[in-house]
Amino acid sequence: MVHALSEIRRVLIPNGILIDLRPVLDRWTVEVASARATSQTGRVTDFPVGLKDDAAANQAMAESESKGWFIREREEFFPFVYSWDSANELEEWIAEEWEDFVALDEETRRATRSAWALADADARVQLNLKMLITRWRVGGELEGG
Amino acid sequence: MTVQKDAQGNEKKFLHEFADFRNQRVLEIGCGEGRLTRHYAHASSLTVGLDSDPDALRVALIESPHEAKHKSAFINAQAEHLPFSKNKFDIAALAWSL
Repeated sequence: MVHALSEIRRVLIPNGILIDLRPVLDRWTVEVASARATSQTGRVTDFPVGLKDDAAANQAMAESESKGWFIREREEFFPFVYSWDSANELEEWIAEEWEDFVALDEETRRATRSAWALADADARVQLNLKMLITRWRVGGELEGG
Repeated sequence: MTVQKDAQGNEKKFLHEFADFRNQRVLEIGCGEGRLTRHYAHASSLTVGLDSDPDALRVALIESPHEAKHKSAFINAQAEHLPFSKNKFDIAALAWSL
């Protein structure tokens, strides 16, 4: 990762900008939402491999900051919502796309299915991802040249 | 399966709050199928999307906005070895890829 950041710095102009945009695991909330009401049914469970990836990304950025490659200018979190037509589709998505990173425990699975079955016809099942966006400015001279 | 992503448009909103893409040369690392690219490629002067998945890059190219096609390129490469000369871009974006 640090080597990739060094490469990015190389191809950016002096004073150029790096935008780092990524989801961070934080036991994302599961909801059932219709136009009339939204109810939280639980949270996903984060797996260690995903948490380790987040830590490695943070570490790489911290290292590039300490080397003076990039200067942190602004940082914020914001929600990014995935939504599906049914609780089954959420479960399928997690099993197929995110099985290494997050899981639904049995209680959340049951609560979500139940809430969706009882909700209004327009209800969708949602997962609220926590997104991190950071703007970095290219720093001074490269270390060692 | 019908999945909707970011119906509220937060990602696009924050991306444009954090950087002004107008007339900028932009390198996007991990562009995938170009979902994020489509948020700004119309405004930039040059957009280069990078990904290690050639199938995703084909989709990115096909779905690239018509008005941005002549100033966009999608390249199969890794961030550890960027095939560009020094000082080539004004903005780089790590798109869900660090």
